[in-house]
Amino acid sequence: MHRNDDIELINSFKRGDKAVFENIILRYQDRIFNLCIHMLGNIHDAEDIAQDTFVKAYQKLGEFQPDASLYTWLYRIAVNTCIDHKRRPFFESIFKRSETGEESVIDQVSNAPAPDKVCESHQIQHALQRALAILSPKLRAVIILKEIEGLSYEEIADTLDVSIGTVKSRISRARDGLKVLLKDFTEQK
Amino acid sequence: MNCLKTHKLISPYIDGELKVTDRKAFESHMKSCRACSIAVENARNQHNLFAYAKQFKAPYGFSTRVMADIASEKTTGFSLPLLLTRFAEVVVLFVIIFSGIISGGFLAGNLMPEKLSSVTSSLSLDVFDPAPPDSLGGVYLSMTEVRDEK
Repeated sequence: MHRNDDIELINSFKRGDKAVFENIILRYQDRIFNLCIHMLGNIHDAEDIAQDTFVKAYQKLGEFQPDASLYTWLYRIAVNTCIDHKRRPFFESIFKRSETGEESVIDQVSNAPAPDKVCESHQIQHALQRALAILSPKLRAVIILKEIEGLSYEEIADTLDVSIGTVKSRISRARDGLKVLLKDFTEQK
Repeated sequence: MNCLKTHKLISPYIDGELKVTDRKAFESHMKSCRACSIAVENARNQHNLFAYAKQFKAPYGFSTRVMADIASEKTTGFSLPLLLTRFAEVVVLFVIIFSGIISGGFLAGNLMPEKLSSVTSSLSLDVFDPAPPDSLGGVYLSMTEVRDEK
C-alpha cells in the first residue's frame, strides 16, 4: 500500500485541495468496486454503492485519523454501505429490482464463448457467487476480505472494527457454511 | 492436541495465522489423524477455489462520476429538496388513501335513503311464495297439514 502517499493526499485534502480526492478514488476504485460486486452480486448495485462509498468518504475524510489505514477505512465504509443497502426498504427494493434485474454478475460480465477450461472456471465462479449469496452479510464480508481481497486477520479486524477472535470465528463459520455448497469442487473423491 | 481443537484451528492454519507453537502441534496431530488431514485438505481446496473468483475493475469514467456526484451534493447542501420530495410523496399517498375512504363512505351514504332501501326490499324473502298451491311443494304442504290435523 502507498501509505505515505495516502497521508500526503489526505493532508492536501485537509488543507483545502479537494481535487486530490479524485486521486484517492483512482487509487482505490477497483478494490472497492470489486468488494461491492462480491458483496452484492449485482453490477448495477455495486456501482451505486461504490459511488456512495466514495461520496461518504469525501464527506468524512476531514475527520480521518492518519494512524489508521486509508484502504481499511474505505473498506469499512464500503462494507457498511453494502450491508445497509441489503436492508433497504421493501418498496425501494422491488422498484430497484424491476428496473435493473438481479442478473448474475458472471452473466453480466463475461459473454465470451467457453472452451473447456473457461467453462470449468465459469462453473466455479457461478458456484462461488451462489455460495457467497447464501452467507449472511457479516460472514460474506469477512470471507471476501480474506479470500478475494487478501487481507490479514488484523486488517479485517481493523476494517470491520471487531476483535481478531471474532474474525477467526466468523471465517471458520463462513468456511463451514461454504463447505456444503462447494463440496462438488472441494471434497476428495 | 485433539480433533476438536484441531478443527477450530483449520482456518488460521490455512491462512498462515497460527503461532509457531500451535502450528507445530497442529501438524503433528495431522500426521496421526487421517480425518483431520482430510478436513484440512478440503478446507485448503475451498481456499484455492477463490483463486478463480473474478477480479472486477471499476467501469470507465467512475471517478469522474463520483466527483460529479460530490459536486452536486455540495450544491444541494444537506439535500432539503430530497427531504421535501419524500414528505410530499407521503402526503400524496395519505391523500389518495383518505379520499378513497371518504368517497367510498359518501357513495354508501348516498345510496342509503332511497336506492339502498329498494335494494334491500328487493332482496327480501317475503316477495317469494315458497310453495304455490298448484306446485308439487304446495300439494305436499297441504298433505302434511291434513295429516297434522288428524
